[in-house]
Amino acid sequence: MAENTPHLGNPIPHDEEVVVIVGSGAGGGTVAYELTQKGIPCVVLEAGPWLLPEDYENDEWAAFNQMAWLDNRTASGPYRVATDFPNLPAWIVKAVGGTTTHWSGATPRFREYEFKTRSHYGRVEGANLLDWPITLADLAPFYDRAEKAIGSTHRHGRPALPANNNYKVLANGAEKVGYKFYATGPYGTNAEPYDGRPASIQDGFNFQGDKSTAKWSTAVREIPRAIATGKCEVRPSSQAVQVTHDASGRADAVLYLDSEGNLHRQAAKVVCVAGNSIESPRLLLMSASALHPDGLANSSGQVGRNYMRHTTGSVYARFDQPVHMYRGETMAGIIADEARLDTSRGFAGGYYMETLSLGPAFLAAFAEPGSWGPEFTEILDAYQNTAGMWVVGEDMPQETNRVTLSPALQDQWGLPAPDVHFEDHPNDVAMREHGYGRADMLYEAVGANGTHHTPPYPATHNLGTCRMSERPEDGVVDAFGQAHDVPGLYVSDGSVMTTGAAANPTLTIVALAIRQAEHIASQLGKGAS
Amino acid sequence: MVDSTADTVSPAARTNLVRLLRAAYPHPRFPDGPYERTADTIIDQVGESLWHRLALVQGLESLDAAAQHSRGTGFAELDDEQALALLRGIEDAQFFAFVRGVTVVTLYNDHEVWDLLGYEGESYSKGGYLHRGFDDLDWLPNPRVEEYDGPEQIVEVAPDDQLTTTGGTH
Repeated sequence: MAENTPHLGNPIPHDEEVVVIVGSGAGGGTVAYELTQKGIPCVVLEAGPWLLPEDYENDEWAAFNQMAWLDNRTASGPYRVATDFPNLPAWIVKAVGGTTTHWSGATPRFREYEFKTRSHYGRVEGANLLDWPITLADLAPFYDRAEKAIGSTHRHGRPALPANNNYKVLANGAEKVGYKFYATGPYGTNAEPYDGRPASIQDGFNFQGDKSTAKWSTAVREIPRAIATGKCEVRPSSQAVQVTHDASGRADAVLYLDSEGNLHRQAAKVVCVAGNSIESPRLLLMSASALHPDGLANSSGQVGRNYMRHTTGSVYARFDQPVHMYRGETMAGIIADEARLDTSRGFAGGYYMETLSLGPAFLAAFAEPGSWGPEFTEILDAYQNTAGMWVVGEDMPQETNRVTLSPALQDQWGLPAPDVHFEDHPNDVAMREHGYGRADMLYEAVGANGTHHTPPYPATHNLGTCRMSERPEDGVVDAFGQAHDVPGLYVSDGSVMTTGAAANPTLTIVALAIRQAEHIASQLGKGAS
Repeated sequence: MVDSTADTVSPAARTNLVRLLRAAYPHPRFPDGPYERTADTIIDQVGESLWHRLALVQGLESLDAAAQHSRGTGFAELDDEQALALLRGIEDAQFFAFVRGVTVVTLYNDHEVWDLLGYEGESYSKGGYLHRGFDDLDWLPNPRVEEYDGPEQIVEVAPDDQLTTTGGTH
């Protein structure tokens, strides 16, 4: 961490009942910002350290070791991540700002049909589909606010980013195969100065934190502004252990460990759990009590289930001439033509195609894990002449894909480590194969000599493990993210997503968090929640 | 030859290790430097573990035995094709898996390798790539960066997938 310790906000007594927010990423950071703007005091417990822009590293492994969540975790099940990266099911961040520190920036909205997948897709064997209790129309005004907060390009008067080299290949290929709905955004990094932050310098290190702060994150916007209200205290290096409830069953405190391992209790009138879709269900499962023997808010049995990670795959294409894909904004290139429902393609749901680049260090680790020999080195030898894209689409929620507490493995505090069990649904496999095929056509249309299909990485999009439902028996939280079973307990991150849609989830997490904060503020105003 | 009783990595074993890395990760453009640095990192890492150290020393010695058996020469004397074929035969050997695990995160994190592959690394201190070629690709036309604003509209739901009055579509 930098030597100038960041201002952590006005201290709030541990016995003062406030809104306690676990996690400072897209969901938690946004809730803290929205509530403190209204004068509502918040304590933010963040498991990771406070990294400042000057701390971020323009180096893939150094940045990974600096900010990735590397506490004990296991991946299990037949998916390849469990074999190649058995202790790294997800590539997410442990720092103030959460995974907005690492996010690339793509901000498409969900489509209307994606809130109604059970109705549209029908009964898909093995899938636990459910319609959301809200619609696109419910969320639209909050999407507007989220896009303005993030400063999404192509929206609300924000200009487009220029075409970088990787985008030039993607967009020309898209045009050649007849795609229409491509652009350099919408994208959460400034093309021109906006909201007190500068324009992109195209440094190519989105995933490593953005030293320039041109990229939106809660670490550079929501958290500092929440602190500036005087109503927020941020406590970094604080690992939540349990959410407790009073005799009436209402959430009343969060127990957490400080960096020395000392246990503290922060009294709460409302608790917002926003630890991302592995840690949030883990915390609820660790909070089992006599009233909630299977885990807090788990009368449905759905806590930790329906874990989704998006159907993904990458395609790296080799050309005769230089591309230098690593120069510039990593994901400022989005094709939406396949993000639609057309089951004549052989699968339900849709996917986006987005520019993606890794440096040689990460390409070597992730392009074809475990591979060696000439078939491996040819991927790296072509580095300079390589263009890359990510296929990212909706995956099927399955009850057996789930986060559980490991019976054997513990973290550094002696708390049970989470296990992430995952298996592709046949629909996921069909979609991925379709995406690989379309990506090959696209790149071959602009002269690719060959392509490499890279399997899914450790998940960056983790969703669904505390899902939103109309009926308490179908899910964990209601339409505002409040637990069906526990008054005063909210879930504020991507784990509330009933289904995952095709779009990158950050924009929707922010929109849902703004909507939830309005609801919490109105409930507190009425003297209840 | 490698001293079979040692649990330290001898110079001869290091030579075999460098040869192994060149055969398993063949890049004709690379000089020896990156492979030697990677070998030294591997040797440093096994220093922390008696088990890994023993496995590596024994494994590197067994390469010579295997090469003698099949080709009548030491491993370091095999040509690329012969060395690769030998390594294919021991792909599952524990020491070789360990060597690969370290190599993939070390060889390609070597800054000389980055230069050789055409990767420029750290850029923030140089102003990013804004004025250093982020858009210098000139063998394709400059594409549109704005969203499509022509007459077509995306069909979010295909006609056959529209909701029916009975609910599902399947």
